[in-house]
Amino acid sequence: MDQYLPLVVMFVLAVGFVVLSLLTSKLLAPDRPTQAKQAPYECGIVPTREPARRFPVRFYLVAMIFIVFDIEIIFLFPWAVVHRELGAFGLWAIVAFIVPFFLSFLWEIAEGGLDWGPLARSRSLGVLTGPERATAPSVRVVGLEGRLAARPEGRATVAVGASSGGDAGGVGH
Amino acid sequence: MTGDPLFADGFDWVVLAILVAKAVIGFTIVVVGVIFMIWFERKVVADMQNRIGPNRAGRWGLGQTLADGIKLIFKEDLKPDRADKPVFRLAPYLSVVPAFLTFTIVPIGGVFTGGNDGGVELFGRRTWMQVADPPVGVLFLLAMSSIAVYGIMLAGWSSGSKYPLLGSVRATAQMVSYEAALGLSVVAVVLLSGSLSTHDIVAAQAGSIFDWNVIATAAVPFVVFCVAATAELNRPPFDLVEAEQELVGGFHTEYSSIRFGMFYLAEFMNTITMSAIIVTLFLGGPAGPVLFGPPLIWGTLWFTLKLLVFLFIFVWLRATLPRYRYDQLMDLGWKRLIPLSLGWLLVIGAISIGRDAGWNRPLTLVGAFSLGVISWAALIGAMRVAKLRRGGDEFGELSTATERVG
Amino acid sequence: MIAQNIAFAILALVATLAALRVVTTRNVVHAALYLVVVLASVGALYVLLAAEFVAAVQILIYIGAIVVLFLFGIMLTRATIGVESDLDNDQRWIAAITGLFLLGVLTFVLVESFGDDQLPGLAGVSREELTAQRGTGAVGDAIFSTYLVPFEVISVLLLAALVGAIVLARRD
Repeated sequence: MDQYLPLVVMFVLAVGFVVLSLLTSKLLAPDRPTQAKQAPYECGIVPTREPARRFPVRFYLVAMIFIVFDIEIIFLFPWAVVHRELGAFGLWAIVAFIVPFFLSFLWEIAEGGLDWGPLARSRSLGVLTGPERATAPSVRVVGLEGRLAARPEGRATVAVGASSGGDAGGVGH
Repeated sequence: MTGDPLFADGFDWVVLAILVAKAVIGFTIVVVGVIFMIWFERKVVADMQNRIGPNRAGRWGLGQTLADGIKLIFKEDLKPDRADKPVFRLAPYLSVVPAFLTFTIVPIGGVFTGGNDGGVELFGRRTWMQVADPPVGVLFLLAMSSIAVYGIMLAGWSSGSKYPLLGSVRATAQMVSYEAALGLSVVAVVLLSGSLSTHDIVAAQAGSIFDWNVIATAAVPFVVFCVAATAELNRPPFDLVEAEQELVGGFHTEYSSIRFGMFYLAEFMNTITMSAIIVTLFLGGPAGPVLFGPPLIWGTLWFTLKLLVFLFIFVWLRATLPRYRYDQLMDLGWKRLIPLSLGWLLVIGAISIGRDAGWNRPLTLVGAFSLGVISWAALIGAMRVAKLRRGGDEFGELSTATERVG
Repeated sequence: MIAQNIAFAILALVATLAALRVVTTRNVVHAALYLVVVLASVGALYVLLAAEFVAAVQILIYIGAIVVLFLFGIMLTRATIGVESDLDNDQRWIAAITGLFLLGVLTFVLVESFGDDQLPGLAGVSREELTAQRGTGAVGDAIFSTYLVPFEVISVLLLAALVGAIVLARRD
């Protein structure tokens, strides 16, 4: 256990370092608290709502899966240390240990347990987001009545596209 | 395999003095190193962005970190009234102390070639050039990085404010995920060295450059370790913890004065320590050619040079890469790095055992890699299944508008 | 030996006091943190016994994963800052009886199986022998010889845990 004595010394030094820094600051820094200073930081907005109480269950799931992985990894270390003495037998034992684990890992991935992307099914909302949007703006162009004839050819096609796009964009989403 | 010879012949005052001296030296290296590292990062990033960077405090702005530290000490320490005071005070300790402790297992020098075991003589006692050499060295590293999770998690929770809480929940999930990848890539190193002690790991790499674990393990665990370490440090491109655009400052938003400074210091200390650990585990630590003069100095010199390369790479990444999205981050950690390092570990194990047992080498290789390819295909298949179940079409991930169906 | 006994006394005291605080504190997060103190002290006791690998496992699994899960669960659902009044319920007597019963069973098992046996002292043992007896390699040898079947069963247990986690957390 002597090997751990330097760690204890280092621990004391590190804690001492933090204590000393904080103590110096306490002695030297001003202490004039006001209500505004003590309020939670909200980029200047007066906080009106409590911080979120509930988070996606996925975060919790990651912590649970991590326990399983941690146990798995910790068993690999003794094998890694003695694997040459154990020889082929040890290799098969560890493969037999990992295979069920890997299969359940695959199942978990297939089940979407580790997906973090958009959870719900994505569906195109039509012209608003589709690739046609660039050619057919959803903004209704007004005030062109009676002026189309006066324009050169090129502008007219744009105006036609704009008016048809205007119809599509008019569909409420 | 037996730990620091300092303790081999009983325990007396000389031994105590040496171990305290070593701890103080290690402590000083970390503190001075972090002062340098903060300056280095700011200066290099400034250069890469065509700025000048700190140039007022001292020559080349070298005193900038100290000046900042002194300024922080004189700043008012704000404690939000909704905070959980004891935990709020505790969190900085949980960040800084593991950062110091991890450095103790790094061998910063010593001669390992030509029948030497890396020991140096101090006052007639033999000892190793590292503060401590616990027999479970690399597990100690993993244990410390799991303690460091607490610092961030509790800092965010105890602030009683929404951005820190969001930041710390993200950080915890991220650090926990990459700890698994980190652990798995370390097992590959242990496999080759046959020991958990960092001293033995360095000694096993002392021969030639081909004994360095980065080459002996064919680089994959090295790459996995580097990526996982970057994520573990919450450094760009994995700095979602303090994504300024979304979370103000992340878990330390409510911290001010030197209390904030402690988190800042811990971040850079961890960067130094992680770089040192990468050098120790994969690049032979102090191993390198001795050109002239005493070999002892060259060991420390090579170690420092390798360390500087990694410090530069971390800064370079920060200046270059944009931040990952959270789902990309999790996908990279769980679906790529972990299976990859697990499979690679088994391949290395099979090759190592096959060499002892006299298996047909090419056959072993082909068998192991074809099994690996099959597993990888199964993994890709599983991901495809998940995607289909989610109902994502071709543009599923690209569509900006999502709508709940069913 | 004296130093070891002193260290044991300190660690045991810390563990006991922290364990008391786990059940008496009125803040869930504080309770979890006191639990960390208990587990860390037990880990340090393993180090005193030269069972370093077990100590590392204790810290990695219990502190690094399980209590993180506890805290995560608390933070994600009900992390009210400050004292909570409804933490106590009227099952404390049953809990006390269960605790005493567990203590009795464990004491009985220890006394029954070890009796007056004493662990060989660490004093005269050379470090090589110690490593051979209690090092990580020794743990590996034990796992892959005596405890091979339990080891493989653990794999199935972990499989069940993974499946259970997914089923619990599924969206439906």
